[in-house]
Amino acid sequence: MATGVDQAVGMSLVVFSLLLFTYYSVWVIVLPFVENDHVLHKYFLPREYSVILPGIAAVILLLCIGQYAICFIKESTRLH
Amino acid sequence: MTKLLQWLFGVSLVVAGWALVSFDLLDLKLPQPYREVAWPMPLYLLVSFGCYSLATVGYRVATFNDCEEAAKELQEQIKEAKEDLRKKGLKM
Repeated sequence: MATGVDQAVGMSLVVFSLLLFTYYSVWVIVLPFVENDHVLHKYFLPREYSVILPGIAAVILLLCIGQYAICFIKESTRLH
Repeated sequence: MTKLLQWLFGVSLVVAGWALVSFDLLDLKLPQPYREVAWPMPLYLLVSFGCYSLATVGYRVATFNDCEEAAKELQEQIKEAKEDLRKKGLKM
């Protein structure tokens, strides 16, 4: 078994992705079938955000990957 | 029929079904909640695939086996190799 920090990081990733999946599933699949006065709606943003927020996350992810790629290419083509 | 054509056929079937339900192309007049669920489906599948990948990576990181003895043995062998090379004249 992996030790210490590895286990903590791994388990936190698993828990985070489970939470994200559950929240997003309820947001997209369960909420349309719940009446508009139900108290559950208080915990969720308006439905348009369920499309906009993943879009923004995808853009940020692509920017980070591009940044990493640029740094890597700069480092590898730098002539000593 | 090649694999690519089979995949494209399957994907186009799924996309056609999705478009039919979310944009009401055949005027089936489905109940509103079902249409509201079907519309973000491609994005939902993408997000759930991302979550699954993240969970798999996290789980594999947490259960990766550390080999303590192999690590120590490797360090010993590195020391020996360094000594050997130093004797033969290689500057470290």
